[in-house]
Amino acid sequence: MADETQIAGAAPGDKRREARAIACGVAGWLVPGLGHALQRMWSRALAFFAVIGVLVFVGAGMRGNLFNSQGGDAFAALGYLADLGTGGFYWLAKYIEAGGPDVSHAYGDYGTRFLAAAGVLNLLAALHAYEAARGRKA
Amino acid sequence: MKFHLSHLQAMLLFALLISVAFGFLSRRRPLDRVKYIAWSLLLFLLFGIGIGWAMYPFSR
Repeated sequence: MADETQIAGAAPGDKRREARAIACGVAGWLVPGLGHALQRMWSRALAFFAVIGVLVFVGAGMRGNLFNSQGGDAFAALGYLADLGTGGFYWLAKYIEAGGPDVSHAYGDYGTRFLAAAGVLNLLAALHAYEAARGRKA
Repeated sequence: MKFHLSHLQAMLLFALLISVAFGFLSRRRPLDRVKYIAWSLLLFLLFGIGIGWAMYPFSR
């Protein structure tokens, strides 16, 4: 009850700040680094865009497994969630990897890890952008 | 477009990229970032090569 009272009595500025924070988080997920760029954290924005871009580019170039929604088991579902973490870069990876994955070689398996790491890292960066927009120390 | 990286090249690239991302994520001042990136990269490589050697007796 006390929480409801607090939410109902929240200042309009707080609501706006929260909405902006969510927008920064979602923008950061869709385009790596955009959440930080919207807050004028240029070096972080550039670093995340470059690092996640290179991970996706190399991972797809190594013909790593890019999971889709028709995985069939829990590991494929987790892989899909991790890959989706790259936001818009998921479709870039699909475009680069036109020949499909090839995990019969070690580098294909490494590519799968590169793609998953890029997704998880981007989710972390998006969460950081959200927290920074909320005013937490970042 | 294809990349055929060796085990060591893939590990080096991965370690470098993740270290840079963590450095920018967790430190604000440029010098602190450089120190963090260098330290993280060193630990990545030490542990990666160390685990590789630790697995050597079981590889055959």
